Formats: sequence, structure tokens, C-alpha cells
Amino acid sequence: MIARILLIITLVPASAFSQVPAERIAAAEKEPSNWLTYSGNYQSHRYSSLSQITRENVGRLKPAWIYQVRRTGIVETSPIVADGVMYITEPPSTVTALDVRTGRPLWTYSPVIPPDVIIIGSPPVNRGVAMLDQSVFVGTVHGHLIALDAKSGAVRWDVAVDENKRGYYMTAAPLALNGKILIGVSGAEAGIRGFLDAYDAATGKRLWRSYTVPAPGEPGSETWGGDSWKTGGGSAWLTGSYDPALNLVYWGTGNPGPDWNGDARPGDNLYTCSLIAVNATDGKIKWHFQFTPHDVHDWDSNEIPVLFDAAIDGRPRKLVAMANRNAFYYVLDRETGEFLTATPYAKQTWADGLDAKGRPHLRPGMEPSVEGTLVFPNIQGASNWPSPSYSPQTKLFYQAAREMGTYYLKGEAKYKAGEAFTGGGGRAINGDDAWGAVRALEATSGKMKWEFKLLTPPMMGLLSTAGGLVFGGTEEGNFFALDADTGQPLWDLQLGAAIKANPISFGVDGKQYVAIAAGYSLYVFGLP
Amino acid sequence: MKRIRLARVAVLFVGLSAAAPVPARAQDAAEVEQGKKLFQGMCARCHGIDGTGDEGPNLNRPTLTRAGDDDSLRAVIRDGIPDRGMPRVRRLTDNELNQLVAYVRSLGRTTSVATSGNAGRGRELYARLGCASCHIITGAGGSFGPELSAIGANRGAAYLRQSFLGPAEALPRGSSPVPGRGFTEYLPVRIVTKDGREIRGVRINEDPFTMQVRDLGNTFHSVRKSDVKAIEKEFGRSAMPSFRGRLSDAESDDLVAFLSSLRSGM
Repeated sequence: MIARILLIITLVPASAFSQVPAERIAAAEKEPSNWLTYSGNYQSHRYSSLSQITRENVGRLKPAWIYQVRRTGIVETSPIVADGVMYITEPPSTVTALDVRTGRPLWTYSPVIPPDVIIIGSPPVNRGVAMLDQSVFVGTVHGHLIALDAKSGAVRWDVAVDENKRGYYMTAAPLALNGKILIGVSGAEAGIRGFLDAYDAATGKRLWRSYTVPAPGEPGSETWGGDSWKTGGGSAWLTGSYDPALNLVYWGTGNPGPDWNGDARPGDNLYTCSLIAVNATDGKIKWHFQFTPHDVHDWDSNEIPVLFDAAIDGRPRKLVAMANRNAFYYVLDRETGEFLTATPYAKQTWADGLDAKGRPHLRPGMEPSVEGTLVFPNIQGASNWPSPSYSPQTKLFYQAAREMGTYYLKGEAKYKAGEAFTGGGGRAINGDDAWGAVRALEATSGKMKWEFKLLTPPMMGLLSTAGGLVFGGTEEGNFFALDADTGQPLWDLQLGAAIKANPISFGVDGKQYVAIAAGYSLYVFGLP
Repeated sequence: MKRIRLARVAVLFVGLSAAAPVPARAQDAAEVEQGKKLFQGMCARCHGIDGTGDEGPNLNRPTLTRAGDDDSLRAVIRDGIPDRGMPRVRRLTDNELNQLVAYVRSLGRTTSVATSGNAGRGRELYARLGCASCHIITGAGGSFGPELSAIGANRGAAYLRQSFLGPAEALPRGSSPVPGRGFTEYLPVRIVTKDGREIRGVRINEDPFTMQVRDLGNTFHSVRKSDVKAIEKEFGRSAMPSFRGRLSDAESDDLVAFLSSLRSGM
């Protein structure tokens, strides 16, 4: 009896104790067997320091288990792994917990999505959960942020971030900081006014909202004509990065609305197509850098901002890099937002270089037209939501680049709440006229060290590992490993359907595994 | 819909004249003209300038197979027919949809460019030229080239003519689910194996690591790219012989008329 009481006493504090406090996420490199946040660490490196799978043995990689999703749809999930459990999302906004050893489900939760849900701008997908303390968090296609008990999947709280009827929805994995959950919205194709929100992780109470489009009178509002700011877009639809020492969150913002017809929104349209550095405590924008002023090609700048430190011209700098959808690779000072360098990493025909502050010199005649204007990169960009990877070992930034053009079409844009507000579109050049490549860029300069060519512009992310490998996939369904130093292919396997997801790595029982979604399945690979 | 039309009439009314009502015909003409511009940007690449057909079917017919009425035409333009290779090119406003529908319907009212050829004579020509050695029509024929049972419903007359006069410039793209996504179908390839053997044929499918090929004898080969010495994709060529210079204009017309008459997939 006494022994049992003692046991209960020791168990109770353990279960009440925070399972994944923010300190664990901030020190993610200390526990590479887990994958605690969307991009692996707050710096968004998507790098694993596990080194059991190497150049020498990767050829023997075998499936350990395969999980098939319950409902067909595009599976873009990037799993979270914590303490023997993997948390994935399934289309459209379902969360499932799996036993990492076997792939057997432990629980699954599907929010009730109204049949008239409005999802304009992407397929009904989800890219992953965030984990903090005892909960996992998911943003849904009907615009809710939901906290689930990590052990059972029971709902802790469920808040509407904004009105889905006006086109607000979510597909991104939230970002968990100390005590708060950050999430940005999708919906620029429906003419929303974008924002990044922070919620109290315990209660779901909103702590702050940082609009990506300023209201009249606020700094940047002079970059919008008339009332165009009200429908100005600037979605914050992917997951940002965090520097705990600077207390700054780095978040990319999307295209202005309407996408391809900029007539009614004269000006630069801040802070669309930008990187914003936001104070994590109060949500104030400390600095911004706009990659594509007055965008008319739908070149969102939501791509993953990658944080690293390096010397530039002999001076140690805190840096943030982004391989932007507009085909330039940018390096900025992440304390100040100062532009340091940019170089194209894929074919582009819209800019004749950049000025000293990183503002593009526009090439004339590249705007969308009724007849169609051929411009590179294509409408989905030289990059898109799939993640790059940065290896602290090689100091290389790995990016899956899309080599493709689009005939950009200009159309009418009339705003009506909850309807498409795009003003055009495009006719893509595809098939044998388009291609892609995994490229290794020197992180500080963007200079290409090697490339591995792909048949088709990829819509998949990369993982680099301390085993000297880069993992990636193809539209045709190949999952492969490259030598991180040379780009030489070392292993590949056909998974049966297009890969449109980001790989991760984790460990259990002393073995390293790599996970990737393809088609309607999640695959986990390890050495035999 | 009705409200939008009325609103536009009102705008035109104010814009043009304060006195006389705008005749409906003028409004229709403006709508058709605007629809034509949209069509040229979005649709002409496959359906041909003025909808005379190309890689996609001609639309200058009074009755469209998949768009019997304006609502179904609107749906086809709005959503595409993805499983038949027609994409949703872009999102359109109701106004733009109306303009496109007005233009496509106007094509059906113009004189249809009916081929002047004789389909019966074309059928005989098809047999005499030995086309059936590589093409299947309603179950009969060889399978090296594309099946033609419904080719008249899927291709315009000019494209059909091009396909036998200059097949290398008319290889289909993205009309079949394999390889799909706009890839050239029946692309000639030349492969040299490490032991010096040469395989000539057409690509069936491909990924960065492998290629699936049928050789000229219609035998299947699976190739791992790292295992062969060379792979050459022969863009600008076709495995089908060109009949340019071998047919009179009248014979070409007859063959086009026959191919255009093939509209019954099994």
C-alpha cells in the first residue's frame, strides 16, 4: 500500500510536469532523437545531427513501417516526434498520433469542417502540428486554432482565429514559443488583410495580433492607394523562425491582393512579399525587408527564413537567409534587417539585378497581360512552401529549385467577401520544358556549389544530416539521398506517388530513422 | 447573375449616352470581343486561334460535346476537365466567364470550317497507307502509336493534318494520364547500353533515375539511367513517318475528314 502511494506520488508530478517545455525546443540540438518543432529547431535548419545513416550505408535503407491516411488528399505533413510518439496531420485538418516504433495509431482527431468551408488559394492541406508542454496545436482549413491533449487527442481549447466566411483559413504548422502559440493565416486570394497572431498556450486567449498590412496612419500605410489595404492580402501562411536571444520571430508574408492585377493598389504594398521581424512579447514589427515591392506575379515570400551565424567580410554577423519564390537567394542581418547580398538561384527574367539595398530593378514589360506574358520563375515560384535545409556541418543551404516559366494573365478583380479576388492567373510551361534541381548554395553568398537535376520542378522539401546526406523527393515519387558535399546520388526508392512533403529524421531504441510523406502514405526508413 | 448583367448595362448606359438605351447587340459584341481576348490568352494554345482546334478539340461547332448549354460550358471553363487534359487555367469573375461563354458560343454561329474531304475515301487511304499497323481504331490495329477511336472528338482538323504531314511538330502533350503533366508523349529516345547495344524507341514514362521505353518493335524496356552509357531524348523528331509530299492536297483533306469522323471511344 505504501509502495503504491509512493508510486502515485511520484507519477502525479511527472504527468503534471510540462512534457515539452519551450526550453526543450530551444535546445533541440541536444536531443536529436526527437523532432520537436516544424523545421527541427527554432533556426529552421531542418538538419539532423544523427549520424548513424551515412554515405557508406544509406544504400541499405529499408522501410520500417508505412502509415496510410484515412482520407485521400494531398499529404504535406512534416511530423513532430516527442518521446516515442509521432504527431502528424492528415488532409484536411486531422491530427493523428502514431507509435514511432510501429506506426500504429494511438489516437486521431478530426475537427468538424463545415461543408461550405471557404478555401481559396491552396488545396485543403495541412503541413503539421506544433507541440508545447502537454499539448499539440493545429491550424485548420476553417480558420480555427485547436489545442489537443498530447496523450489522448482530447480538445483543450478551440478558437476561431478569424472568419472563414471572409476567406481566412490555415494550413501551416503553428510555432510554439514559451507560453504562446504563433500562427499566421492564409487567404490573400480571397482579399483578406493578413496577420500573425499569438495565443496563450494554456487558455487559447489571443495575446497579440500583428497585421502584415498597415491601417491608415500606421507606418507603411502610404504604400497603399485608397482603400486597397483593406483587401491587401499579405497572408502569413507558413511557419516562421525564432531567435530567443534577440526575442525576435521571423515570418514571411505573402502576395498582395489581388494577385495579378495591381492597378487598384498603387505603391509598394508593405508588408506584403516581405520578411518581418516581430517582437515575440508584444507582436510589434521591429524591422521588415520587402523582397518584391508591388508584386503582380504571386511571388509570396512565405518561404522558410533560415537563421545562422557567420562572418561576412571578416565580421561575425547574425544572419537570416531565404531562397525566395522570386528566384533570388537573400542574406540579411537578422538584428537589423540590413540587406547584405542576393543572387539568383534559378532562372528569372523579371529583374535586372538589385540595388544596394536589395530593391529589384524591374525589367519592363514583365507584368501580366490579357494575352499572357511569359516570365520566369513560374506562378508557384522558384521555391514555395517546401523547406530548405541548412547544414552547420557543410555550411551549405540546400534548396530544391523550380525551373519553370508561366504566361501570366491579367484579369478583372472585384472584391466580394469569401470569393476569389485574384485578378488573373497563369498558363504554366510544364512537361519537358520545365525542370528542377536540388542545389547546394554557400549560405553566406548564395554561390552554387553543386546541383542534382530533377525531371520536374519539385514541390518537396529537404533534410540534411550529420551522416553527410541530403534527403529529398520528386514529383515522380522517388525518395532519394545525395552526398551533402558533392550532390552525388547514393540511394533512391520509388514510393508510388508524388512527394509533396518535408522529410525529418528521428531516433528510437538507438536507431536513426527518416520519415517522408508520399501520396496517401507516410513512410519511415531505417537501416536493417 | 442577372443583377450583374443589369449593372453592366447601367454602366454602359451612363458611359455611352445619357439619352438612348444601348442596344443589346452592341453589348453582346463588346462581350464577345472581350471574350476573344481572354480566349487568346488562356485557350488558343490548345483550342487554336478562333477555336478552330489544335491539340484540343475545335470549338467552332454549334454543339459542343461536353457543353450542351451555357451552364455546362461555364462549368467546363471554370473547373476544367482535368482527367481529359483540360486544366482550370485560372479563376475567373462571373463577368469574365460570361465573356468567354459569349465568345465560344459566337464561334458556333460562324460557318464551321468543315473539312472539304471525303471521309469514305479517307478510310480507304488509311487502310492503303498501312496506318493500322501502328494505330488502333475501335479495337483493331497495332498498338505502337496512339489509339485513334475518338481522335476526331479530341483534336482539331489542323492538328490532325499536321500529325501525318509533320508528326515531329505535333507530338501530343499531356493528353494521357501517363506520363501526364504536359510531358511530350511518344518522344523518340535513343539509348546506348554499357555493352554498346542501342535501343531506339519512344518514351513511355520517366523519372530522374529511370526511364520506361517501347522500342520500335513495340517491346518494353525498363532502363536505370545510371546503368546505361547514354540516353538521348530526340525532341523535334517522331517515330511516325511523315506523309508530306506523299499525299495530294485532296488526299490529305480526305484523311483529315476520316480522322475527324472518329468520335466513338470504346
